[in-house]
Amino acid sequence: MRPAALVFAVASLAQWLVPLVGVWQHERIIARGVAVRFECGAPDPYDPFRGRFLAVRPAETMVLAPEGMPNRADRVMVPVWATLVADEHGLSHIQTLSLEPVSGPTVIRLGACLSGETNGAKMVSINWPLDRFYLNERLAPDADRLVAERLGRGKPPVAEIRLLDGQAVLTDILLDGVSIRETVKQQAK
Amino acid sequence: MLRNRYGVESRAGLAQMVVGAVGSLLIGAGLIAVLAYNWDEFPRWVRLVLAFGPLAASQAVSWWVLWKNDGAKPWTRESAALVQTLAIGAAMALVSQIYNLPGQWTDLVFWWCVVAVPLAWVLKSDAAAMAYLFGVAVWTIAQAGDRAMGSPALDVAEVRIWFPILLAGILPRWPGSDLGNRPQLGSRLVLAATALVGLLAVAASARGQQGQLTGSFTVFPWLAMLSSALVLLFPLDPDGVAEPLSRKPQVVLGGLAMVIMALIATYETPARELVSGVEPGLRLGWCWLLLAVLTGFMAVAFRQGRFAVLAVAGLALVPSLGALLSPAGTGGWPVAIAYSLLLLGTAIVLIALEFLGRQGAARIGAALITLLVILRMADADVSLLIKGLVFIGIGCVFLGFNVLVSHHRARVPGGSPT
Repeated sequence: MRPAALVFAVASLAQWLVPLVGVWQHERIIARGVAVRFECGAPDPYDPFRGRFLAVRPAETMVLAPEGMPNRADRVMVPVWATLVADEHGLSHIQTLSLEPVSGPTVIRLGACLSGETNGAKMVSINWPLDRFYLNERLAPDADRLVAERLGRGKPPVAEIRLLDGQAVLTDILLDGVSIRETVKQQAK
Repeated sequence: MLRNRYGVESRAGLAQMVVGAVGSLLIGAGLIAVLAYNWDEFPRWVRLVLAFGPLAASQAVSWWVLWKNDGAKPWTRESAALVQTLAIGAAMALVSQIYNLPGQWTDLVFWWCVVAVPLAWVLKSDAAAMAYLFGVAVWTIAQAGDRAMGSPALDVAEVRIWFPILLAGILPRWPGSDLGNRPQLGSRLVLAATALVGLLAVAASARGQQGQLTGSFTVFPWLAMLSSALVLLFPLDPDGVAEPLSRKPQVVLGGLAMVIMALIATYETPARELVSGVEPGLRLGWCWLLLAVLTGFMAVAFRQGRFAVLAVAGLALVPSLGALLSPAGTGGWPVAIAYSLLLLGTAIVLIALEFLGRQGAARIGAALITLLVILRMADADVSLLIKGLVFIGIGCVFLGFNVLVSHHRARVPGGSPT
């Protein structure tokens, strides 16, 4: 085999592997992960390559800093591990934050950086690793309007995710327990 | 014999190549847009087939082109490489869309570049190489921007490490394994522009880190000068040295950036900030790397007798000398005056070299002197009448000098007035 053909074969394999690794990881989390729900905001921006999506913004963005939280001057986030716990409505909240990896079915890896104090307690700003729920470009503006209306009435949408080994996959956005996709399609009919 | 030696593309071949590249670009961009519509009526497996089908088809076509080896026309190589490059992006984008993958678009661009660049090597595709360089530059600017703005992202890449590695990814294409593949003019322009922009972005990211850590000082201007000098002095073989300036975009772009920054530094405040960035700059490993490479490039340029580019590149070393030699409390004036004098000296060298029959740039030298006089006159405390008369005088001298250079070039054997 010529060297060029060998390089081409390896490159072609890598071109399949990069997206397929993402597929495999996410299928694994969807199949074996624990379902968790939490309230979120979700405006409708646009990605030049991947089209329209709802930018999922979990309601919980400021929490108590874990012990020994470093104060990075360049504001680059440090990884933290959050343990989530569900309330009586089935909505999850951050119970604890740790700078060291912890195990458990409802642990999620987040980014955090110090962000001031509240009542003398150090707080961290949280960056969630799920920020995009892609939608058909015909449905996305309606979904955006629906979410805004509900936020105005104090009834935020609920993000449903699956957790496995600290990794998360966003599976749906729910309005009153129904997928936002289905709700928008029903309204469009 | 010359055609065999340099392998010049015929005009018809070039047109075919451009049309092929544009067609491929439209097909690939259309593919991405169609997939970005988000066909959520289809089940997941159908959408995955839609994502990977075009990739498989484009790989098959590229394999066929590669199998034909030298029998394949250049435009088919370009088209196959470009369509496959875009099919890779489409597949990655659709998978992200189907699985709601988090992260910025720059993550996608990074992996897209990494897995697509071998196509530029094996299919000898300039279009794929240029797409790769463009992607690398965009990714570097975005990452450096995140860092400079103190963006609270979790995994921001260290561009000082990644940009040189990614830029080196083009080496198997240019100059290639036999060191003989010289890029065509358009490719050279993209290569020079992306290298310069990427290096400036890296310099800006260093400013972000330093600025956040210690307050107001900034290392960006000096690092930007050193980076521009590197691009300007990039080593050439003897054939490359002998080529006219119009075929050396790295000299034009690097020199232009350097002269613009030097002209800004003829004012006191920018000169002071430039000097104040030297000491914190010397605490950065990146700065020392730039200085080491610059020293090497300067040695090569000196051996090759490229004194004109050396004169311009030398302007990047003034801030370090200023920091070392200017007395405390003198502000930026010594460096500002030094830059004015050095720019004047550089301009005279550029003119003199040409009239001495060496590689120079008389018109650029004259333009530089004119610019200097205009800048000094603009901020001088004299009446508008005097300024106006001086500008008219400079304009007449400049036009007269232009005629003189044209006559001189026409007299040189084989020369042309332009």
